[in-house]
Amino acid sequence: MSTAQTTIKLQSSDGAEIVVEREVAERSVLIKNMMEDIGEQAMTEAIPIPNVNEAVLNKVIEWCNHHRADPPTANDEDADSRKKTTDIEEWDQKFMQVDQEMLFEIILAANYLDIKALLDVGCKTVANMIKGKSPEEIRKTFNIQNDFTPEEEDQIRRENEWAEE
Amino acid sequence: MSKRRIDDGDQTSPYERSAKRVRPNKVDRLSSLSDELLLRTLSFLRTSDLVVCERLSRRLKLMASDGQIWKAHYYDRFVRPRASRIPGIKSQRDSAGSLFYSSRISRWLNDEKLVQEGALTDWKRQYKLRHNWSRGSAHITETEVAERPSSPPLLVRLHGDIMFIADDQHGLRAFSMKGKCRLLATYPPTSSAGPTVMAVDSGPNAYGEVRLAVGFLDGSFAVYALGKAKAAFSHCYTHPASTMGSLSAVAFSFPYLLTMNQEPRLSLYIFDRDDETEKSSALKAPRLLSSLKSQTAYAPLSLSLRISNEVISASIAFTKPFYGSRWTVGVQELRLSTDGTMLGSRVASAGSGVQSNLQRLAPYQAAASHMLHVLSVPSTRPASLSYNHPYLLTAHPNNTLTLYVVTSTNEDLIISPGTILWGHSSSISVAHVGDRGKAVSISTKGNELRVWELEGRGPSTLRRRPPPEQSSVRVFPSADGAFSKQIPNLDLVEMGKTEEVAKGWITFDEEKVVLLQEKRHGAQAVVVYDFT
Repeated sequence: MSTAQTTIKLQSSDGAEIVVEREVAERSVLIKNMMEDIGEQAMTEAIPIPNVNEAVLNKVIEWCNHHRADPPTANDEDADSRKKTTDIEEWDQKFMQVDQEMLFEIILAANYLDIKALLDVGCKTVANMIKGKSPEEIRKTFNIQNDFTPEEEDQIRRENEWAEE
Repeated sequence: MSKRRIDDGDQTSPYERSAKRVRPNKVDRLSSLSDELLLRTLSFLRTSDLVVCERLSRRLKLMASDGQIWKAHYYDRFVRPRASRIPGIKSQRDSAGSLFYSSRISRWLNDEKLVQEGALTDWKRQYKLRHNWSRGSAHITETEVAERPSSPPLLVRLHGDIMFIADDQHGLRAFSMKGKCRLLATYPPTSSAGPTVMAVDSGPNAYGEVRLAVGFLDGSFAVYALGKAKAAFSHCYTHPASTMGSLSAVAFSFPYLLTMNQEPRLSLYIFDRDDETEKSSALKAPRLLSSLKSQTAYAPLSLSLRISNEVISASIAFTKPFYGSRWTVGVQELRLSTDGTMLGSRVASAGSGVQSNLQRLAPYQAAASHMLHVLSVPSTRPASLSYNHPYLLTAHPNNTLTLYVVTSTNEDLIISPGTILWGHSSSISVAHVGDRGKAVSISTKGNELRVWELEGRGPSTLRRRPPPEQSSVRVFPSADGAFSKQIPNLDLVEMGKTEEVAKGWITFDEEKVVLLQEKRHGAQAVVVYDFT
């Protein structure tokens, strides 16, 4: 394996080509696997990322760049072992101060590109927007359509009273 | 209407305010996530937030009550803390991380049954059950089962959803505990001798029937089976009366039956398994595998049968006097191979080393070793004793319980020195050790029911002992007032003034605690604390 080539090109869904350091791009398990599959010679061409637009891809690369030196996460799908906490480190919190559209786009991109740590940061950010709120507040935050009758909702509330704090 | 919501939404969301371009948030992006991503997001929420999410919409209800999420919470709250508490498990772990919940590597301890049942397990329901136990919150219902006190006192055992009651007036009865307490089947009294002991076999027989053994005043015992499809008792076997007095204890784990009589003689019987293949549930007379006159064993005592791959351990836990005014506990254990060959018998007392029949300590040596533990020895005779290996628990009139941990290996039988458990504010009449190191105790007046977690509370783990106020939970009726609705004018604290608990037993399983109360006018009532 040669480390001579240190940058690769990614092509976003809206056609933009972005040059990125290979080490940074390989935070994405999808890209890393792709690099291994297509080999060195194919790297002159841009790798298409059909599901992610330029703005989101830039944002994702920004995250990967900041976290380039993070120790690799356990590769197996041992997601259960991660601590159940919604604590997010400060840089990531700032990074996630984006509008809701971008936030969910980042989650979808992190899922598609298989960047587990970024996906968790995104999901935790959404979880933090739910935490401690009333149902009506959560519905407003996400524009969720209530498809329960008031009686049904009350029934669910009563069944779950034991779990309230 | 929906427009207004959107505007409000923008106001309440700091994420959107901080962004430069504020756009109306028309799309429900949360609900648009795939099941996988939505579950991942919800997995970061606490249970109190999950139940709020259930109220949002049908889709979110489905996702927020997902079994895998609740299974993880169940593990985090009820299994992992135990795993780190139980001696031996902790030292096994290879890295600190392996005790975190993981579907593949986690140790589920006694909850493995739930895991194996897979999709059948309702994890949210299981979580709620354990949660209610930990909070001591239960629905309480009361059913009168006899008009007057019986002699000997009425016996009650729980088996899943079925409660068995035996007394001299009504014979044997089975009640369904699903929802309201309902009579399922009756078997009339067969002789004038009243029932003194009862034990339910843990496993069903070949026809899915539940078998139970009842011992009587005249020293006889009988085995019955309760049909599954047809709710009726069938009589399987009656053992003739004995001249050696009434039965004082029985343990039943088919095909083995262990009895103790007044002499006191311990007898281990084995039924013929082949009987099961025949059409009826009738059993032939059992073979007596072993019988021995026990050491002087004072009541209260408790029999138990443990069957492992190779060895049957039949044991009797008993109280014994200690330096005249004090009391301690002992365990005598008979070990037999599965074909009935006696492997040995041994006795141990709390705090002393093993006193097997091979290396028995001279009395003064034993006394010397006892001396070291004299401070932990209760000064009052225990009101009740319960042994569910490895925990042996005695209840005392002086508001305390004493916990002993029994170690039984091929080489040794050791009972730890007693650890005193505080928490009751009045005299305790009954304590019972169930599975998973959970115990329930009730005060003499019946007004104080406590649930104890015994794991990690033995003497060897004294340092990790939680502060006294955390050591047990007092049970109260659940917050929604179900208690007062079902039993008007009755309050837990007030109960002691009007009612008295009949001494002798208490029984509980995963979901319920059942205890017997004797009313002032003598009627016997079953009180069920339901934690579901």
